[in-house]
Amino acid sequence: MRRAILLLACVALLAAGCGKSSRASGGKIVIAVDVPVTGSPYVAQTIRNGVALAANSLNSGGGIIVGTHTYRLAVKLYDNHLSARQAVEDTRRALDAGAVAIVTDGTGVDATWQLADRDHVPICITYDGGTGLVDAAKRPNVFRIAPTNHGIAFRFAEYLIPKGLKVGLLHDDSAYGQEGAADLGRAFSGNPRSVALRMTLPLGATDLSPQILRARRSGATALLVWGQPPTIAAVVTAARSIGWDVPVYAPPTGADPFIRQQLADHPSWVDGLTFAAGRLTAEVGTGPFQSFESQYESAYGVDKVGVPTSDGSPVIEPPELAMYAYDFTHVLVAALTRAGSLDAGKVLAALNEVTTQGANGDERGFNRHNHDGVVDDDVYFARFHDMTYAPAKDDPLSSTLPVIPQTP
Amino acid sequence: MTGGLVAVSALAAASAAAAQRPQQVVLPGPVPYPTDSPPLVGGGVLASAYIAPGLHIASTERVRVNVDGTGKPNAIHVRQQLTVKGKGDYQVAVSGPIEDVRRGPGSQSEPGFRADQLLWAGFSPGTKQLAADIALRVPPAAPYLPLRLHLTREDGGVTLRVTNATTTPVMSYEGVVRPTEIARLLDATRRSSLAGERVKAAFATFLGTVRVPKRPLQIEAPLRVQGELDLPGQEPVAFSRVLGDGQPLSFEVHAQGSGEPDLDLSASPAPVVHLLRPPGARTWAATIGRRPIPGAELLSRLIGARFRLVRTDQYQTFLADPDADGHSRAVYEYKTVAAHGPQHIAAPARDGGGSNALVIALVILGSLVVAAGGLFVWAHS
Repeated sequence: MRRAILLLACVALLAAGCGKSSRASGGKIVIAVDVPVTGSPYVAQTIRNGVALAANSLNSGGGIIVGTHTYRLAVKLYDNHLSARQAVEDTRRALDAGAVAIVTDGTGVDATWQLADRDHVPICITYDGGTGLVDAAKRPNVFRIAPTNHGIAFRFAEYLIPKGLKVGLLHDDSAYGQEGAADLGRAFSGNPRSVALRMTLPLGATDLSPQILRARRSGATALLVWGQPPTIAAVVTAARSIGWDVPVYAPPTGADPFIRQQLADHPSWVDGLTFAAGRLTAEVGTGPFQSFESQYESAYGVDKVGVPTSDGSPVIEPPELAMYAYDFTHVLVAALTRAGSLDAGKVLAALNEVTTQGANGDERGFNRHNHDGVVDDDVYFARFHDMTYAPAKDDPLSSTLPVIPQTP
Repeated sequence: MTGGLVAVSALAAASAAAAQRPQQVVLPGPVPYPTDSPPLVGGGVLASAYIAPGLHIASTERVRVNVDGTGKPNAIHVRQQLTVKGKGDYQVAVSGPIEDVRRGPGSQSEPGFRADQLLWAGFSPGTKQLAADIALRVPPAAPYLPLRLHLTREDGGVTLRVTNATTTPVMSYEGVVRPTEIARLLDATRRSSLAGERVKAAFATFLGTVRVPKRPLQIEAPLRVQGELDLPGQEPVAFSRVLGDGQPLSFEVHAQGSGEPDLDLSASPAPVVHLLRPPGARTWAATIGRRPIPGAELLSRLIGARFRLVRTDQYQTFLADPDADGHSRAVYEYKTVAAHGPQHIAAPARDGGGSNALVIALVILGSLVVAAGGLFVWAHS
């Protein structure tokens, strides 16, 4: 009997030595989310939900393995109030809380990146496409998963110039509008004859009739409005009010529910509004995105736009921004796994070397020279009809993309 | 080569049983290549690739090799231009001992760079040009260059020796064949070689046993080499040769004078012409109609020529074309440039597997010691 017990003990020891050992729990890994909860609640909520969805999904699978330990992801929310000063304060608090990364809409990154860089903590922007925010050489800890202003501007140029349109380039005086105007200026600089006029619009003005009349008189046959959602809504209102059926183009803010809510009394005015955005589906089809959307809706419900279609169906907004935040969380986890430790420098370096499959089926990742996770080629154009949008048919990329359902 | 060997071995075994029965034997080409590189391979695992159905990617490479005063490479740069044809998404990676990557002239997209990887991702609306300037680490890349250069200073001048470095042994095979069929295959191979096409897959009929010669066949990628060797104040010495294809694999050029030699040389993989030229007629079929040539001689020529074409095709991609079926072209340019200090070599990031391996080894060793102790106690209990 004694011999048998000893033999069993030896076998057990060998098995323990050769087999897969269970990993010790390492506790929590904090991901900070710094978004404008009180400045732009839709953007804030969808970014926060994207990170939380990825974290919850990974936690429910047993957490993540980093080196010899397993960890659970914890999401810590900060409200930057669309204020750079508040973003700096939030970044300090997030670093004090031991955050391994900060996910943000982009508010205050010009001021926060150096703070985070001292601790080698990555910041990922999932909304603001501003040129200069991301620079792999100068700001090695800043990453972005969102279409860039540069990419959107150049895609607009290659889309609109061949149509022979005289484009009125309008922008509002917000930082977003001014940055976009600079990129549009560069994109159209090679074809000045395509530009009928350039004009700055006051953010928050509800009546832009004088400016739109001026644009009409300039001979513009299309308007490209780079601004916040209220500005785009005001431009459409002013143009349609005077019976000017000019095509209106917009950056990703053109998809913001606010515009449709503002124009809900005149649904036909929304028809034809065309905006640029990052594609929601990869060549593999709609399957991956719809699977992600289904997970998202199960967890947080649908994002209602607040307007119906002509047959009375409520319109819902696909969780695009949530997708970017969700993807970054997965890329971050891949980097943590590759680094094999929580050493911030190693994690930061690993972010340049890993790829994961994004929620839309595309590969998502960064590299040493490029910290933008959405390539310019992934910018597509969508056009509204009956309060929902579909990929444009007159652009090579967009014409290959399927329609994402926007009604229940 | 392994694939070919397996095929030949299998066929040889089958042939022993089949005695004199005719059998179809796969001829060399278009793949596999006789060696693993080129194209160059870097460390690490390549990011997953995707090329939309119907999309084709052609590669054009200009490999610029800076050599020192002895002819030894001290810097290697590649300008790779990829032409994407067709409409759809692509996400590809090119591997190699890559030190750095920059956007090349005319590129419609920005290349990505990871440890030993060049990345391209985007959408082609019908056609798209991608170009990158790639700096390679010299020690791992230089052995795969197609030429070896030796510059030797002598009294009154400098001598350049240029050697084709693509020579490699391959497993050939022999047997009884029908001369008319082999002549027809020689003509087809010659036509595609002269047209600059990739060698096409082909079979030959063997009657009876397929034998593998004990001595492997030495083949090379024929290289067209041209350039100038210059010494200060002297007329440049121009040269133009084909190295291989039945002609010498090296040559020497001597320039009179003194001072630092200035060498400009370009080499490109060349078609097999000489070895496939039919003697005394326009085609091999016509040649054997006039005078009989033994089938074994024709077969040896066919296999040798096809292997050389495969080797030529291999050197058309110093860095890989992400589309394995894509059309590739490479030119290698050598130039004397004094080395500017030690080459900065960025070691590729590696996974920290060493410590894990040590832990595993220690655990296994410890377990074995404990188990042995336990067995000892058990045996003496």
